[in-house]
Amino acid sequence: MIQFILKGIIRDKNRSLLPIIIVALGVTLTVFLSGYLAGVFQDIIHQNARFETGHVKIMSRAYAENNEQMPIDLALLDVEELQESLKNSYPEVEWVKRIRFGGLLDIADEKGNTKGQGPASVMAISLFSKDSHEVERLNIENALVKGSIPSQNGEVLIAHDFSEKLNVEIGDEITYVGSTMYGSMSFQNFIVSGTVHFGTAGFDRGAVVMDIVDAQTLLDMENGATEILGYFETGQYDSEKATKISAAFNQSYASTDDEFAPKMFSLEQQNNLGDMLAYSNYMSQIIVIVLIFAMSVVLWNTGLLGGLRRYKEYGIRLALGESKGSIYRKSIVEAILIGAMGSILGTILGLLATYYMQEVGLDISEMITQSSMLMPSTLRAKMIPSQFYIGFIPGVCAMVLGNMLSGLGIYKRQTANLFKELEV
Amino acid sequence: MEPIIKIENVTKKFPEGEGEFVALKNINLEFQEGEFSGIVGPSGSGKTTLLNIIGSLDQPSSGNAWVMDKNVAELSHKESAQLRNLHLGFIFQVYNLLPVYTVFENVEFALLLQNKSKEERRKAVMQALEWVGLENIPDKKPSKLSGGEGQRVAIARAMVKEPKIVLADEPTANLDATNAHAIIQTMKKLNEELGTTFLFSTHDEKVMQYLNRIIHLKGGEVEKDEIITAQNQKS
Repeated sequence: MIQFILKGIIRDKNRSLLPIIIVALGVTLTVFLSGYLAGVFQDIIHQNARFETGHVKIMSRAYAENNEQMPIDLALLDVEELQESLKNSYPEVEWVKRIRFGGLLDIADEKGNTKGQGPASVMAISLFSKDSHEVERLNIENALVKGSIPSQNGEVLIAHDFSEKLNVEIGDEITYVGSTMYGSMSFQNFIVSGTVHFGTAGFDRGAVVMDIVDAQTLLDMENGATEILGYFETGQYDSEKATKISAAFNQSYASTDDEFAPKMFSLEQQNNLGDMLAYSNYMSQIIVIVLIFAMSVVLWNTGLLGGLRRYKEYGIRLALGESKGSIYRKSIVEAILIGAMGSILGTILGLLATYYMQEVGLDISEMITQSSMLMPSTLRAKMIPSQFYIGFIPGVCAMVLGNMLSGLGIYKRQTANLFKELEV
Repeated sequence: MEPIIKIENVTKKFPEGEGEFVALKNINLEFQEGEFSGIVGPSGSGKTTLLNIIGSLDQPSSGNAWVMDKNVAELSHKESAQLRNLHLGFIFQVYNLLPVYTVFENVEFALLLQNKSKEERRKAVMQALEWVGLENIPDKKPSKLSGGEGQRVAIARAMVKEPKIVLADEPTANLDATNAHAIIQTMKKLNEELGTTFLFSTHDEKVMQYLNRIIHLKGGEVEKDEIITAQNQKS
């Protein structure tokens, strides 16, 4: 009988093509949006990872406890050796040093008098190392508003808004005023090589990017860094792996009480990102449920129309001796088959679209007036395991529900009218 | 011999406005196995209502209708369906073939409901198509058939399960004279060869020529129950 039903589905375009197209479209939308949302949340996570947390991050225990204050006196030392050891232990992770600190920028006029001053938040990264991917990771090239990326030590980038506020031009000299990690006063002149747009008010008001060697010199932090960030080479955050690496690393320092001993944190252990990840999953589920509901209503109507259209056929079958229950059950089997066909097609299309958006993405750089370091210029989706089955929920359920409801009419049908109905 | 159909004091009423319309009034009839009978009468005389009750598509308001020893008045919906599935064949004025299926599949459908094996179905379908002379076009779609061919497929569909009784409602109404005669002759042949009881509801004189019994209904009552002698009957 299934074979008989399948033949009917395949041959009757009205019975199959339209419902399958509708199911496939709905499922494609559900699957793709599910992947797109995963991509959006992944971007948020990436943004945090790129700028602040890495996929894993190592700080000294003391620094970690007060990291919001950026206490450079509690920075990690002997970081070259630590970095080398990390490379050997976890070759699948790229390890990078960073120093974050604050100070004052002073801008002098031709006569040497201060013409502008402002507090600055400095991010020191590895700008010149051959192995470093920091410039790409932070999207600096696209975020440049004026000038160029520093080509040698002594050159810095500053936030574009900050440069306008301080009336600084490319090639101007700026003076950093702050303290070393040991508390001594520290002064150093830098040349502004370019201005960048960070994309967040906090950074755009007063941030500076410099090479880490310049920062180490400035802060008297030889072979030191406030943090070492780890990035999986796949580029994707793997929560399970990050947790495993962190646990193993911390275990190796478990026996020491040294407050300067390094401590590793996974991404979700920082900045409440664990809650954020849970929230993103929750939001993703809610949005998918809303989509499922919306698609179910559309597909339910399709089921109703299909049931009405086949009124005569059901009459013939009743006359031939098929029971109402049998017709009802077969209409549901048919709905399952049509729903499954549409869902398979829709899932394939949705996955292809997601894959394209994951690998190629949608370049929106021309749509936004200024690319920033924080906001990616390419929108990307992310393929997730649930995409392989999520579309079957609206696809099959809605078709079945539609047929179940429309099929109830079969039970109300009076067989006594069949001769008259079938004369038409 | 026990009649294959026995109608006993059957009355059928339908609600009409605040009152009721009596479609059949205290009908008493018996049909023996192998009869080739017709119910004739003007519109509203109760032909289709009687056919409905015999076909277990409807139940009498009072009285009993015994079909194959089953009292239609007492059958559940499921039991009625089973009676139709196993013992009754229907032929309609319009052929009512399922358009997406081939001739073979349309005829096969009745057997699918009986859970017959593929081989049993194939044999029975080809036999039924042979009875109606369509064994050469099993793969044709209904849309490619002529009116006469369509009705012959409908006969094959009704006959494939070798039912004891075939109920035909105006089976020639949509056919020209040549096809109408051919169709009735086919049914007559099956009646004679297989012993199937045929019961027609008809206005058509061409059909009446072949019947061996004609029941005249008027106003829901049997006006005349006429046995046709062999010399008055067309063969």
